[in-house]
Amino acid sequence: MGYLLKKDWWKWLCVVLLTYTVIGGLLLPVPKLPILNETIRALHFHVPMWFGMILLFLGSVIHAIKHLRTGEIKYDIYSFQLANMGIAFGVLGILTGMIWANFTWGEPWSNDPKQNASAISLLIYLAYFVLRGSIQDEQQRNRISAVFNIFAFFLMIPLLFILPRMSDSLHPGNGGNPGFNAYDLDSNLRKVFYLAVIGWTLLGYWLTTIAIRLSLTKQKLEDA
Amino acid sequence: MHRIISLIYKDFIVDWRQQNPITGILLYLASTIFATYMAFKGFVSVEVWNALFWIILLFTSINAISKSFIQEERRSHYYFFLCKPSEIILAKLICSFLYLFTISFVSLLIYVILMGNPITNYPLFMLNLILGCIGLSSAFTMVSSIAFRTTNRSIMMAVLGFPVIIPVLILSISNSFKILDSYVFTQIQGNIITLFSVDVIIIALTFVLFPFTWRS
Repeated sequence: MGYLLKKDWWKWLCVVLLTYTVIGGLLLPVPKLPILNETIRALHFHVPMWFGMILLFLGSVIHAIKHLRTGEIKYDIYSFQLANMGIAFGVLGILTGMIWANFTWGEPWSNDPKQNASAISLLIYLAYFVLRGSIQDEQQRNRISAVFNIFAFFLMIPLLFILPRMSDSLHPGNGGNPGFNAYDLDSNLRKVFYLAVIGWTLLGYWLTTIAIRLSLTKQKLEDA
Repeated sequence: MHRIISLIYKDFIVDWRQQNPITGILLYLASTIFATYMAFKGFVSVEVWNALFWIILLFTSINAISKSFIQEERRSHYYFFLCKPSEIILAKLICSFLYLFTISFVSLLIYVILMGNPITNYPLFMLNLILGCIGLSSAFTMVSSIAFRTTNRSIMMAVLGFPVIIPVLILSISNSFKILDSYVFTQIQGNIITLFSVDVIIIALTFVLFPFTWRS
């Protein structure tokens, strides 16, 4: 993490990839399908949000584990800010999903297992912030919230990846519905999608590093 | 090993001597079920019967288990020097499971008397109930040890507990509905195994993480 905080080649990569995603995602040809029509372009903006959220939460959990092992405040700040950005990505993921569902399913929220599971996983992480707010002692707050972070993350995995598959869901890729692989016969979607995932995740990581630097500086000023 | 047994024994003795919490929970249970009975009398389908039963169990268990660490406030210093955290959490897990299982049994009894009895396959229903109770009791025990450190405990218990418990709850409600709908074991084997593995995940995480909440 320290290495990436100092070097900036990946920031240029992020800018290039996202410019390509926005232009290519909106203008490149897509498969013409009934009901979906042009909304299939949501693939480049909705799905990467969830990839980004999971990766950011994973980073948050890894730093929570590091914090429990070493007790360094640095890791707690990493973990907290990564979770923060994960929440932002999750909210964007739900909103973009609701816009898409409004056009294809007919209503923004249709009690779909996938939608419910993602809403609950956001509730779990919002509870994490409430927990941090309700412990006075700083050292204890860091440790207890790291414990809850790990506990919640491992319970979120069955919620997001196992349960929606067991019941009927309208979401592509679940409950017997084909995912985008089945539609993407000429690989036009793939050309943008994979790069979009990398681009959005890098953007999330970039924003997080700024937030981390800010809180590290604040920490230093408090100590001085 | 004898430490674990004496810790469990101690918890029962405390409950027996105080009597207040346990009667409180039983009354809570009885009045909740009675209120449900008054509200739903006459039009309960099997689906609603099942969902209501688990919701009642959820609310009772969060109230019953939240006390498991909160009552230890003044005693925690003694344990800290006497026992390892792993012994304490094992004793607590066993204790809260036994506690919740008794509660669920009593609630099933009252519930069946008032709301009717659609259960046909008792062994399978009880198996699912036990697996659900293991999940509920161990997740809430862990959450209780986290909420114990915060300033507003009863609210934190619900805020932290409910989202975390949802996988267990969804699985056990859907299993139990299928059992009432006269599915046999081979048809819901997969779901039962999933529920069991979620229980195992919860217990394993509790073992690994509890020492960190305890040490302070």
